[in-house]
Amino acid sequence: MDSQWKIFEVFHQSARGEPHVHVGSVHAPDGDTALMLAKEQFGRRQACVNIWVVAASAIVATSYDDADMFEHATDKSYREAFGYETTKRAKLAGDAEEI
Amino acid sequence: MATTTQPTQMTGATNGAVIDLVYRLGDDCLIIGHRNSEWTGLGPILEEDIAFSSMAQDQMGHAQALYSLLHTLGEPEPDHLAFLREAKDFRCCRFVALEPFGEAGSGASEDLRNNPDRDKLLTQGDWSLSLIRQFLFAEAWAIRLAALSESSFEPLAEMARKFRGEVKYHTMHGRIWIERLGRADADARQRVQAAIHLLWPAALGMFEPTTHDAGLARAGVCPSEAEACRKWQTDVTGLLAEAGFTWPRDAKPVVGGRAGNHGPELARLLASMQKVYRLAPGATW
Repeated sequence: MDSQWKIFEVFHQSARGEPHVHVGSVHAPDGDTALMLAKEQFGRRQACVNIWVVAASAIVATSYDDADMFEHATDKSYREAFGYETTKRAKLAGDAEEI
Repeated sequence: MATTTQPTQMTGATNGAVIDLVYRLGDDCLIIGHRNSEWTGLGPILEEDIAFSSMAQDQMGHAQALYSLLHTLGEPEPDHLAFLREAKDFRCCRFVALEPFGEAGSGASEDLRNNPDRDKLLTQGDWSLSLIRQFLFAEAWAIRLAALSESSFEPLAEMARKFRGEVKYHTMHGRIWIERLGRADADARQRVQAAIHLLWPAALGMFEPTTHDAGLARAGVCPSEAEACRKWQTDVTGLLAEAGFTWPRDAKPVVGGRAGNHGPELARLLASMQKVYRLAPGATW
């Protein structure tokens, strides 16, 4: 039997409706234990209303060797929402507030 | 200093009875919190080390809040209560002060981290004793807080309602471990089983009766120790049976702590815990 515990990736939600954000991982034998341990590793320093744990083995990911497939060979900035006038104005207003 | 309605006016129980109760609750939390904190940096795995240390902080927080309540009832300041009292002045049960090293109570655990015998203690020390004690204590504390949430002494009721979220995690932690260790290999099962049998008599001492029990129950401050003990035994033995563990059927409770009669382990703990404060009492850090 494998003596090592599994790795669970931990996702933290700071308020209802906010997205769950990946914050790290824990070692645990199963999901419930992973939740129990994740609560103190990642839920004790900042506001938290919900935690997800996902077995790392359940995650299907792209390879960094294939990172070039995300690169654009031609200009496709028209795909970026920042191109729109309204977004620009909203961004400016936001920046002004921050100052 | 906040003014608090005196327990006598509020509940009909004597101030002395309520003060004794709050000492018992606060001292239990401080001493088990300190004992659990002795594992900080030495826990069996990183994640559990952090979880266990974090619960120790919760417990010390509960002790501090309860000591602050005592201060509003005319007792000395929280720091004085924690750092300047002698063992005989503490009202904690003997269970919370036990040393989890070697044969229970025989190891010298004074300031484990700086102890020259650290390696020896670590080899002899048994985390199963601390883990099982924490499980048994958390179940008792959860039962007490559920009852105290309805207490006729409102300052205590309010505090109990505030603590319950943290303790929900403490019982979750203990129950998950008990259930998982019940399915673990023979070595783990045997250690847990031995810890349950070794700790059980002292665990029953958490509910050592006091002369105030009847008065406090009559005034609606809290249920009697006997009643809390019955509830605790029902809950805990149910969880243990489900996990496939046994417990002593005719254990004699280890008592004395509520009257200030402690074993030498509490004096050793206090010598370590109070050492720095006593170098310069009242100093600002």
